[in-house]
Amino acid sequence: MLVAAGAVRAAENPASVLISRQLAEGEHLSVGDTVRLAAAADGSGAREFRIAGVYEPTPDPVKLGAVIREVRLHLPDLLELTRQPGMPAGSEYVRNINVALVDPNDARAFARDVGARMPGIAARPASGAAGSTGPFVVLERFHLAIAIVTIIASTVFLLALTLMLVDERRPTVGVLRLIGLPTRRILVQLFIEGVLIATAGSLFGLVLALGAEGIINRFFQWRYDTALVFVRVTPEVAAVCVAIAVPLGVSATVVAAWALLRRNGLSLARR
Amino acid sequence: MNAMGFAWRSLVRQPARASLGVLGVAAVGALLFDMLLLSQGLVISMRGLLERTGFDLRVTATDALPGQGPLIPDAITRADAIAHLPSVRSAIALRFANAVVQKEGRRGQYTSFQGVAGTNTHPWTMLRGRDIANGPEIVINENTSRRTQLQPGDRVVVRASCSDNKQALPPMTFTVSGVAEFPFDTPNGATVATSIDMLAAACGGNELDAADVIMVASRENASTDAAAVDVAQLLPELNVLSNAEAVSRFERGGFTYFRQISTVLTTVTLSFAVLLITVLLTVSVNQRLGEIAALRALGFSRWRVVADVLCESVLIVGGGGLLSLPLGALLAAGLDRILKRIPGIPAEVHFFVFEPSALRVHLLLLVATAIIAALYPIRIVARLPIAATLRDEVIG
Amino acid sequence: MIGGPAVQADERGPTGSAPLCVVEASHVSRVFPMPAGPVTAVADVSLRIAPGDHLAIRGPSGCGKSTLLHMLGCVEAPTAGTLLFQGKDVSILSDRQRSLLRLRQIGFVFQRFFLLPMLTAWENVELPQSEAAVSKAERRKRTGELLDYVGLGARADHRPSELSGGEMQRVAIARALANRPGLLLADEPTGELDRATGEQIAALLDRVNADGTALVIVTHDPALAERSTRVLTMRDGHIESEAGHA
Repeated sequence: MLVAAGAVRAAENPASVLISRQLAEGEHLSVGDTVRLAAAADGSGAREFRIAGVYEPTPDPVKLGAVIREVRLHLPDLLELTRQPGMPAGSEYVRNINVALVDPNDARAFARDVGARMPGIAARPASGAAGSTGPFVVLERFHLAIAIVTIIASTVFLLALTLMLVDERRPTVGVLRLIGLPTRRILVQLFIEGVLIATAGSLFGLVLALGAEGIINRFFQWRYDTALVFVRVTPEVAAVCVAIAVPLGVSATVVAAWALLRRNGLSLARR
Repeated sequence: MNAMGFAWRSLVRQPARASLGVLGVAAVGALLFDMLLLSQGLVISMRGLLERTGFDLRVTATDALPGQGPLIPDAITRADAIAHLPSVRSAIALRFANAVVQKEGRRGQYTSFQGVAGTNTHPWTMLRGRDIANGPEIVINENTSRRTQLQPGDRVVVRASCSDNKQALPPMTFTVSGVAEFPFDTPNGATVATSIDMLAAACGGNELDAADVIMVASRENASTDAAAVDVAQLLPELNVLSNAEAVSRFERGGFTYFRQISTVLTTVTLSFAVLLITVLLTVSVNQRLGEIAALRALGFSRWRVVADVLCESVLIVGGGGLLSLPLGALLAAGLDRILKRIPGIPAEVHFFVFEPSALRVHLLLLVATAIIAALYPIRIVARLPIAATLRDEVIG
Repeated sequence: MIGGPAVQADERGPTGSAPLCVVEASHVSRVFPMPAGPVTAVADVSLRIAPGDHLAIRGPSGCGKSTLLHMLGCVEAPTAGTLLFQGKDVSILSDRQRSLLRLRQIGFVFQRFFLLPMLTAWENVELPQSEAAVSKAERRKRTGELLDYVGLGARADHRPSELSGGEMQRVAIARALANRPGLLLADEPTGELDRATGEQIAALLDRVNADGTALVIVTHDPALAERSTRVLTMRDGHIESEAGHA
C-alpha cells in the first residue's frame, strides 16, 4: 500500500524500488522520488523507499481492464515490510520461485527432479501453462464456436453469390451445351474458375486479416493501456483459413454449376 | 400491385437465391442478436444475483473486493452497530477460508469454507435438513454432499486453511445439519458454511472477531444510498460498496472483455450482412435492368422502382431477422454453456441474458442494414438511363 | 372502348375547331457526348402527330429512329428544340410528371417485349393500372377486356415463359393499352417474330389505331411500314422523306 508519495523528506539511504508506469502516471511519481510503503491497511509500519526506476508491467490477460499499480522491491525489503510483528526473522516464505534453465528443454526433467528431492514443493514447466489455464481454454472454445457460426453464414452467402454468378452465364452455358460440349467439360472449366477465384479471395482475405490485426491490436492496446496482443494471425491460423476457404469456395461454385447443368441446353439458352 | 407485393414476386422468382439470402441473414442475425445479449448479459446477471442475495451493501476493510483484502477487525461488533441503524434491516459478518472435509473412510474433498455471524439471515437457501445452530455444525452444498456422501446428521472432519501463512491447523469435527444452495457457488464448486465463531476456531482460534465482509440489507422504506451514507458515517474507516458499484467494478475489470468482443463482432457481422445483401441486390438488379427500364418507360416513377428495391431488401433482411431470433436463442444457450465453464463463474450467472432493449436494438440494426444495403442498388435504378438501357438490351 | 380517348372534346385547339396534336416536335435534336467526340443521333427534326395518326419511321440501323421514338415518348429529352405533348412543353416537366405522362397518356411496345417473367399475363396487364391507382373493380374489367381484345383471354394465368413470342407481344400490347393512352409507340414490334406472327401483330396494331389510338412504329420492315398512313424515312439523324398513304 502506497502511503505517501512525492515530496517526502527521505531517510538516509532509503532502499530502492521499481514502480509500474501506470502507478507513476497515476500518482505523478518519477525516478528519484521517495515514497512510503506499508503492508497494513491502516498504514502502520510504513517505510521509506526511493524510486529507482519505472517499468512496463508484463501484460497479463487476467488483469485486462485493471490499472496495474505495482511496486517491486528487493525480496529482503518485502519480507521485512510484511513480517508480522513479533515474528522472528527467517520465518517468512515465498509463493513461487522462477527458474531459468541453461537448456529450456530440460524443464520437465528438472521439475520431476525438484519434486522428488523436495516433497511438498510443486515444480511445473512454464511452457504450456497458458494453454492449460481454465479461462483461456474456455475462451478458445468460445471463439471457435463464433468462428463456426461465421463460416456457416459465409457459406450460405457464398452459395447465393455463386448461384447468381453462374446464372449470369446461363445463356453461354446453354449454347455450349447445344453445340455439343459435354457437361463434364463445362463443369471442369467452372471448377478451375472456382479454384482461381477462391484462392485469390482467400489471399485477399488474409491481407485483410493482417490489416485488421494491426488495427484491432493498436486500438485495444490504446483502450486498455496494455502491451497485450489481442489478435495474432500465425502461419498456422492462415493455413487453416485457406484450407477452409478454398474448398468452400470451390464447392459452392461446383454445387451452383451442377444445379445449372442439370437443365437441358435449350432451356438454358432461351432468354 | 404495391411495391412490397412486387418485391415478394421478384424474390419468389429466384427461390434458391432468395432462400439463401434469408438463411444467410438469419445466421448473421443470430450472431448479432447474441452479441447484443452478451454486451450487457454478464452485468445484468451479476446485478440480479447480487440483488437476489437480499443484501445491497458490502462493507470491507479496504477498497478491495470482498475476500481479496485484509480482514475487518471487530467485525461482529461493527455488524451489530450497523444492524441498529434506522435505515438498515439486517447486517451479517462473513468470513471466507478454505477447507478439506473428510467423512470417515472416504477421501477428503477440497471446499470453500464460510463463516457467518449476525442475524438469523444467512446468505444461503436450505434444501434439506435444517440450518446451523450454535456449536460445531455445518451446512454443505449439493456438490459436497454428492462427492463425500454426506447427509444431514453425519459427522465430518474439517481441516481449515485460513490465510496465506503456512499453518498446520488441527482438524475439527462438525455435524452436518443440512444441505443448502449458495448463490455464488460455481457449477462444480464445493462449499461448506458454519458460524463465524466455529470458523475462527477451525482457523486456530486467532482473529476471533474478524470478517472479510459485512453484508448489509437496507430497509424497504430507505434507499440504498441513504443506508450507505449512514454506514459510512458510522464507520468512516471502512469501505462501503453498493451492488451497483460492485457491478460497475466488475464491468471495468474482467467483464469488459465481453463488452469489447461483442462490439467487435457486432460491427463485423453488420458489415458482413450489409456487404452481402448489397451484392445480392446489386446482381439481382443488374440482371433485370431491361425490365426496370421498360417499367420506367411505361410510366413507373423513379421512386416506385426505388421502393421495389428497398422492399426486396426489407423482405430479405426482415425474413432473415425473424428467423434469427429462435436461432439466436439456441446459439446463445450453447455459447452460454461454453462460457460458464470459466473457472470461478457462479452457476447462477449467465453471459447471455435477454432484455427487451436488446430486441429493440436488434430490430433497429436490421432496419439500418436493410436500408444501407439497398443504397447502392437503389442508386443504380434511380439513375438508370431508360433509353440507353433499352438500346443496350436490344443490342445485347 | 379499348383505344385511347387521348383527346377530349375540351382539348381542341385555340380555335375550337381542330384537336391539339398529340405530340409536336419542333427542330428537336439529340446529341450524345462520346469519348471520341459528340454523336448527333437526331438532327433538327420537326413533326406532328395528330390523334388517330398512323405513322411509321423507317431507316437503316443507326439513323436515329429509336432515339426519335424515345424523345416522342418523353423517355429521352432533346438536347435542342421543343417538344410539346398535348400543347404542354415537356422540358419543363419534372421527372415525376413525365413518368405520370407516360403512365397515363403513352403506351410503349418493345422489340424484346419486356414482360415481367414472375407475373402472369393478367398481372402484367393489370400492373400499370394499379400504378395509376385504378380501382380494383375497374382493373378487373379492363384487364379482362384487353386480354380478350388481343385474343389471349384463355391464357390469362400463364407466365411469359409459357407463351410464344407472338403471344408475349400481344400481352405487351395489351399492357401498353392498359391506361387508355392516346399515343402508342412501338419500337420494332415484330423484330423478334417470324413473318406470320409479325403479320398478326401488325394486324392487331392496325386495329388499335382504327379504334382511336395514335400509333407510331419504328421499323425497318417495309411491309409493316406500308400499313401506315404516313411513312417517315430517316437517314443520319434527319428526316429524308415523308410519304403518305390513303
